[in-house]
Amino acid sequence: MLLTPDLVPVISASGQSARVDEKIAARFKTGTTVRVRNLHPTTHTRLPGYLCGKVGTVEIDHGVFIFPDTHAHNLGEKPQHCYSIRFKATEVWGPTAAANDTLRVDLFDDYLDPA
Amino acid sequence: MAKTKPAPVESETAIRVRALEAILIEKGLIDPKAIDALVDTYETKVGPRNGAKVVARAWFDPAYKQRLLADATSAIKELGFSGMQGEDMVVVENTDSVHNVIVCTLCSCYPWPTLGLPPVWYKSAPYRARTVSDPRGVLKEFGTILPEDVEVRVWDTTAELRYLVLPKRPAGSEALGEEALAALVTRDSMIGVTVL
Repeated sequence: MLLTPDLVPVISASGQSARVDEKIAARFKTGTTVRVRNLHPTTHTRLPGYLCGKVGTVEIDHGVFIFPDTHAHNLGEKPQHCYSIRFKATEVWGPTAAANDTLRVDLFDDYLDPA
Repeated sequence: MAKTKPAPVESETAIRVRALEAILIEKGLIDPKAIDALVDTYETKVGPRNGAKVVARAWFDPAYKQRLLADATSAIKELGFSGMQGEDMVVVENTDSVHNVIVCTLCSCYPWPTLGLPPVWYKSAPYRARTVSDPRGVLKEFGTILPEDVEVRVWDTTAELRYLVLPKRPAGSEALGEEALAALVTRDSMIGVTVL
């Protein structure tokens, strides 16, 4: 499909949500402790490397979304839950980080293990 | 000494963008005029004044604020703002005990319908790397110094959700109407690098 100027207001106003309207079970309940898998794909991913191996808590279940890691490479939508995971700053950066501060990162089911 | 000024060196990003643009045109995927229309939309029509209206409404109308924090996408749409890069929104509220700041360490994810296009610094590698590892240091450079007992909550928005900070309403603004309140709200306060 060719993107033409007359389509710009249409796509700008409608957008394209990656949310999937499917009942897919969440692997983790909110409040659960999880560990980020030690993954280093050389292909597309939304997993920031600085979190590998870190332990956090499932704070928000955002619902089911297309999995970008497969979708980006035409390997299917692989819909799954995406969560906001809370990490203590000290868990990620060590004792010099402020004790009160936290990181909240949106991570997909496939990036997580139970901790 | 050279008599003529050397041509400005094009940045790596600019070269890459030009190459991508050329490929998309060559493959017949985009009409160059559509790129101009996109740039025009987000430079002149959609911008942080939209977000400011959302914030002012939330300060002014407690029921709206409740809806905004519960389902940001729908509440923002009530004011007519929705679409590309704002399909699934989350609004996070600054309070006396929590200060929120938004970053995307993997690229430059940003809520276009409410804030427009991201500023250059938001896309820069130092902002992206340092906001997660040294948020208080970055905030200080924006003139924002927070007490130790305030939790700095850094949102690394690497997936499909887009975030907007609801800043704390400034002291002394109690008598102001919605429009006057909106005029107080800055882009940077809705990214969370400054307070009002």
